[in-house]
Order: sequence, then C-alpha cells, then structure tokens
Amino acid sequence: MVTAVAERRFLPRQELQALIDVLAEDGRRVIGPMVADGAVVYDEVHRPADLPIGVRDEQAPGSYRLVETGSERAFDVTVGMTSWKRYTFPPTVPLTRASQDGGGLSLEPAPEPAEPMAFLGVRACELAALRVQDRVLTGGPFVDADYRARRDAAIVVAAQCTRAGKTCFCTSMGTGPEVSEGADLVLTELDDGFVVTAGSTRGADLLDRLPTRRASETQSASADAAVAEARDAMGDQVATDGLHDRLLDALDSPRWQEVADRCLACANCTLVCPTCFCTSVSQRSDLDTATVVAERSWDSCFTAGFAKVAGGSFRNRRQDRYRQWLTHKFATWIDQFGSFGCVGCGRCIAWCPVGIDVREELEAIAPPAERHRKRPALATGTGPATYSVGTIHSVTPETADTVSLVIDGIDPVIATGTPGQFLMVEQPGFPAFPISISRYAPGHVVLTVRAAGPATAHLTQSEPGTQIGLRGPLGVGWPVERGLGKDVVIATGGIGLAPLRPLLDALVASRDRFGKVSLYYGARTPNDMLYTGELASWAELGIDIALTVDRAGPEWLGRVGVVTQLFDQADWHGQPVVAYLCGPERMMQVALRTLAERGIPTERTFVSLERHMQCGIGLCGHCQMGKVFICRDGPVFSVAQLGDALNVEGL
Amino acid sequence: MPAQESRAHAGRQRTRADRPARPRVGVAKLTSCDGCQLTLLDLEDHLLDIVDAFEIVEFPEATSNRSSGPYDVLLVEGSVSTPDQAEWIGELRRRAGLLVTIGACATAGGIQALRNWGNEPAWRASVYPRPDLLETLPTSTAVSDHVAVDAELRGCPIDPHQLLELLAALRTGRRPQLPDESVCLACKRRGTVCVVVAEGIPCLGPVTQTGCGAICPAYGRGCYACFGPHEQANVESLAGWFRQHGVDDASAARLFAGFTAYAPPFRSEAESATRTAHRQEDPSHA
Repeated sequence: MVTAVAERRFLPRQELQALIDVLAEDGRRVIGPMVADGAVVYDEVHRPADLPIGVRDEQAPGSYRLVETGSERAFDVTVGMTSWKRYTFPPTVPLTRASQDGGGLSLEPAPEPAEPMAFLGVRACELAALRVQDRVLTGGPFVDADYRARRDAAIVVAAQCTRAGKTCFCTSMGTGPEVSEGADLVLTELDDGFVVTAGSTRGADLLDRLPTRRASETQSASADAAVAEARDAMGDQVATDGLHDRLLDALDSPRWQEVADRCLACANCTLVCPTCFCTSVSQRSDLDTATVVAERSWDSCFTAGFAKVAGGSFRNRRQDRYRQWLTHKFATWIDQFGSFGCVGCGRCIAWCPVGIDVREELEAIAPPAERHRKRPALATGTGPATYSVGTIHSVTPETADTVSLVIDGIDPVIATGTPGQFLMVEQPGFPAFPISISRYAPGHVVLTVRAAGPATAHLTQSEPGTQIGLRGPLGVGWPVERGLGKDVVIATGGIGLAPLRPLLDALVASRDRFGKVSLYYGARTPNDMLYTGELASWAELGIDIALTVDRAGPEWLGRVGVVTQLFDQADWHGQPVVAYLCGPERMMQVALRTLAERGIPTERTFVSLERHMQCGIGLCGHCQMGKVFICRDGPVFSVAQLGDALNVEGL
Repeated sequence: MPAQESRAHAGRQRTRADRPARPRVGVAKLTSCDGCQLTLLDLEDHLLDIVDAFEIVEFPEATSNRSSGPYDVLLVEGSVSTPDQAEWIGELRRRAGLLVTIGACATAGGIQALRNWGNEPAWRASVYPRPDLLETLPTSTAVSDHVAVDAELRGCPIDPHQLLELLAALRTGRRPQLPDESVCLACKRRGTVCVVVAEGIPCLGPVTQTGCGAICPAYGRGCYACFGPHEQANVESLAGWFRQHGVDDASAARLFAGFTAYAPPFRSEAESATRTAHRQEDPSHA
C-alpha cells in the first residue's frame, strides 16, 4: 500500500539499468514493455534500450499506432497489446498428464513450476486487473494453484501514467491513473528520472539497494501534476453509477442487434482483456494415446464451442455473445466477484478489428438518466434573484451588430463553467437575458452578444467599466469528452459559433486526444463571420476549417452556399464521428439528415437549442420542450435524448 | 473399456501377427492439386504409428495397391467439377463408413470455383483445341453440396496437426477437436500483434476458421482465408470496415475471391469481384 507518508526517492534516468539489475538478481526474468511489429508488447527486458524509449502510442477504436517522439522517456506508451495475464495466467498451461501402461491408469498434475519474474512498468489499470483476477482465481472457495504460484513469484514495479490514450477510461472505472495498492515499487517518470516510492516491504528492500536520493519538492510536485494531467485528460467517460441495474434492465435493447451487425465474433476483445479468465480444456496426444496431456487454453464467450452442449450452442447469435460479454463485464461480475470486470484499459476498443467501442455501447444500451456531466453547483444561495456583479473590461466589435465583451471581476464560480454553458445577464431597467459564454480565460469570461433586441442592443453599446449582473454558469453544455478518440465535426452558422468557441478551445488544448476535427461555418456574408482573426490560428492548431457564405462580396474568394452543402461533400473516412451543431433550426435539420445518412448515431450528435429562457434553472416554465427544460437539461442535448421532440413543430 | 480396445491402447509391444483388425482407410481425389493428401505422407515421424493403427487400402499417391472399398474411413480431396465426379462421389459415399473431406477444394470448391461466375464454355473453348472432348460441369463445388460429410479438415493445404488429431480421434473413437472459432484466438494466444489494428493490413483472420496456427499474420501479412469462414463470419462488417479505411471496392471484394470464394458467407463479396474481372477477361467479349 502506497501511503502518503511513503518516502519519495528519486532515481536518475541513467540509473535505470541499476533498477533492472536489482530486479534480475537471483535469475529473475524481468518482463517489461517493448516495441515489436508496430505495437508495444510485454516481454523480457535486459537493458533500458529494450524499453520503448522515445515512442508513444496513438490508440483509437480499431487502431494502434506508435509514433516517435525523440524523447528519452521509457514509459510514454500507455498500455501495450499484451496484458500481464500472459505471465500470470498464460495462454496455454498443462493441467493433467494421463498415462496408461500395461492396463494401469495414472493421472498426474502437470503444472510447470512458476519461475520468478519481475513485472516492470505495470499501469494502475493493469494492477487493478491483476487484483480482479486475484479475486476470481484465488478469492473464492477454490484456488487456481498455477495462478497463485505465478503471482506469488512476481515482483511488481508500477509506472503511473503521465499521459492518457484516447481509449483510456480508468478514471471512470476507479482504477487509475494513480497507483493505489498492489505494487512493490511505484515509479513516476520525469524528464530526468523517476520519482520512486515503495509499496511493500519487499519494495522497500529493493529501494534501499538502488542509487536513489531523496526526491525534491519540485520533483514530487511535478510527478503529482503529471499524473493529475493524465486524469484530467480522460475526464469521466462512462457513467458507472447504477450501471449494473441499467444494463440488466436492457437485456431486450434493440442495440444488441445493431452491435451484432458490426461484431465479428472474433473474440479479440476478450483475449486482449486483462481480466477475462474464461478457458477451455483440450486433450493433446500423439496417435499413440499412451500419454495424453490435458491443456487449459484461453477461450472466449464469443466462440460457438464455448456454450455448446450435445444439442447445440446456448448462444447461437453474435448478439447473444456480445450481450453475455458486456453484461458480465459491467453487471454480473459485480454479483460474482464484488467489482466490475472492466478496469478501463481500453484494449477491447483498440484491438477490435472493426473498432466497436464499449463506451459507446454502454451509453447506447444503458444510458444514464442524466446523460451529461454533472452541472457545477451554483454559488451558495444562488437563485433566480441572486446575481454577482462583473465589470465590462473591453468591447470589441465582431460584425456590424455583434460585439465581444470581456467581463472581469467575476465571481470565481463563473470561471468553473464548461463549454456551452450560459449566464443570465441583468442590466438595471432591462429584462434579464441568457447569453452563452464564448470564452473562459483566467479571471475573466468573454460574452459575444448580437444586438437582437433592446436589452442586447444596450449591452453591445456599453462602455468599458460598466458593471452588469451575472448569474451562472447555467445549463448543461457540450460533452467534450464524448469526442475523445473520435473525429469531431462541428457545424454552425452566424452567431452560433459563439457558444462553440469554448468547445474549440478545449479541442485545441488537447488536440492529440481527438481524431480529425472539422469546423463547417457559414454566414450570410463575409462581414457576418465571427472571430475571423482566430479562424486562421485554429487551422494552424489542427482544425480543418471550411467556410461558406450565402452572398459573397468583392473580397470573398471562398465558397458560396449553405453549410450543409459543404457537409455533403465532406470525406469522413468512415471513422467514428461525434457531431456538435449550433445554428438556425433549418440548418440543423438539414445537417441532422446528412449525419443520419452517414450513419452517425444520434447518441453522438449534439445540438444546442434556443428557447425563451427566464429563470435559467427550470422553475419558470418558459423553455419547456416536451419532457425537458432547455435551460436546466440543455441547452445542449444529444439528438437521441430529444427523440421525436425535435421534429414536432410548435412543441 | 471393451477388451479389444484396451488391447489396442497397449500399443507398441504388439507384434504384427497379433495386431487387431485395423480400420480400413482410403484416400480419394477429385479436382485438386494433391497437396492435401501429401500432408498425410508428410507426417513422417508418425507414419509407422499410422500404418500400425490403420490399414491404408487405397492411396494412389503412396501405393500401387488399390481397393475400391468398402472403407471404414475415406479421406476425400478435391472439388466436384465434372459429371463423372458428381456420380462417383455418390458411389464413394456408399462405400465409406465415415467420409472426411480434406482441403479447401473438397470443403468449399477450391480456387477453381472462381470459374463459377464465368462463361465456362467460352473459357473451355479458349484453352482446349477440342473442347468437345471434355465433359465438365459449369461449377466447381464442395463435396458436401453432393453427399453427406462426416467431418471436414479445412485449409489449402490442410494442417498436419489437425490431420493427426483426426487420426488420433478416429483411433480412440472420440470426436476430433477441430475448433470452429476465428483465427484471431490463435494469433492472440501466440502473442502475434494484430496486423489489422497495428498496421492497417486487410486480414481475413477475424472471419476465418482457425486451424492453421495463425501462420500468415505471424509473418506480417493478412490471412487470406484458406480455411474458409468460421461459423459466425460477418463478412459484411469486415469488408465494410476495409472500405471505410482506404481499401477500394474492387480490392475489398477480391480479398474474398480466393481459395474458399464459393463458401456461402464469402460468395457475394467474391461474386462482385469475379464479375468485374470476368467482364474484363472473358474471351467471348474479346
């Protein structure tokens, strides 16, 4: 157990060999990550050069690529294809040897003795997976002796993750990226070496023999910050609260058939899974069956033979097998073993040959009642009557009728808002109105306001120094995390770019965590475009931008037409896409049709809706639309969440 | 265990004279290259055990002694592609206790089944000076399309370990262990990095039945499905994925137009590829 009081030591990078040597003492095999055939696998390492130095992994549904970074770091790759169960629970182990000689039968256990090993670079999710298999294979009334012997014979050196892959979701499963328990030593890699703590008595002994010094406060803080960064990058992608019941209530979901249409029943997900433990026993003998060895091999609930009896298979269809697997991992495993069977390592997502994403399927099959992130709490006592005061710092014209206001001196709670949330703005004498936050920056927010009526017109004409009342942040914004690992399509028109700008800021800030990001933006004329100065810089930061106008002026050399035409010509390469839309309803309706035709699921298509909002907290009734309040439950919704309400005129 | 069987298990000490009656085994061939039956001869280390356990009564590749049956076990190689063969396979079926088809030709129609989508009379005329002297069927089909089959060994050629497993099972009287799962399980067990996911190579392993030991991906190339489709082969999904990832329509279809093209799950993909090719090559269009 790593405790807060465990002394933090520092191992300089050039002493990594010393660590391997200490682990390899007494002939122990040291197993660690290494590059092989375009991926990282876990195999025997002898020297630091065997480790995947200077590469990192780019994982996405159905894809695993290594890219060279030129860095000296050895543990930048998150997880490899191999899981440690290859060494604790090998693909094939002999069980029993039967021999017949002169009519006498002898049956002998035939396990190979466990050789001493050390696992170097075990991730938090992988440690959690070892603990899951410990519970399965040694925690019940019967103990798998072979597994127990291999586990007991292995030293575990963990490496905390300082970056997250696009397929990682350990934060949701509560397994990482921080290493909590089960490691003898815990490393956190910095540029010049490793912060090391001991997690066991055995680990403390090892640490004593390493050329370390006390870690400085800076080194400790850097290590903590790096792991925290990995945590933030992942966000919370799978709603695990109540998942057990939600999933078991959805055994007749039509989605099982949809996923079966894509599923190959190839079993890759289960074989790369670090917790899957299903096996089958086969008999191996020569033609002369004088000696027969029974062998246990990895098997999978996706094979026909797995559920076969004399009359046939109990799970004949792919949908039956997928449902068996998913409900076991996320529901019945809890009943059997007291934890999820998933640790959030993402292997089943990356190594599925057709990129089926378990996060997606859970969301579609067993959606949480609250589909979006938790709303940040309002400031104490905040109600329809409680405003804080902010000051207009500057007013910048965007178009003829639109300005951007920098508001500073704000209540700190406003700065905790997320992309797509809005504020209620109060100016004495005018009715309060909602306005989305168009940028978050340290100490201030930006509001982009179009003079659409008297109150907004008054605000656009305000002088710097004017104080205004602010209430918020309110509503539920863009689920940025849903785009992780996917291509992102943003389509908008005119002022609709304003609520999307914080989303673009978030995408740019973690650009490598998303696939291709495309912005389709249309305006009536070139002069009606917002943020024209920033569009170029976004393009440099890896956003593909396509612009169009309804009416071109003499200066305009670009496209003329509506946004949805651009959309129709887009090449999305068939990658999983998440779409975020904000604009006039007509534009959104056409865009939604195009997205549906391209097979983008409605669960991954998000729209921001505009309605008359007054209270902003779902109490005044103005913004109802069917079963939702736009202000409280939105303004951002998935199209799946809205269902038919979107197409009913006048609802 | 019956007395006779237990004696059989006593094995090597027996002399030739007191050997119990051995099952009579035949090897027959239809349209094929002979590679699969040669796999039996390639089991060099086991040949003495094999002849100890089985009486090989018909095996033209190995012996001039012939037998027209009956056979306890008949291994049949090759596809049915002539009227004579269509008749003969019915005859063989009647003479065989257990009929086991071996190889892609016998189990799926083989590479020669690509002609099933072509203009067979035109091709025949373009190859042979006297096409009227030949009698062929317009299709090359699997043995199981004509008669009941008791077991199949897939592959082009078949896998020696699977053949040995079949013989061991026949000898013991148990069901052979011939898994119908995908090739992927073998890749993962041996630790091969997936060529689809890590390199974007189109590999048919996810829809192909295992048994070869996952050889091709271990050498960095995609599986070309010589063992044919596994029992849940989702060809539409895999081909769709390849198309979405830069494989053009024709190339995606051509992946399936190989040794087991006429196996039903592969057939429609293979058909679109071969139709295109035949339009370009058909001598009647020349």
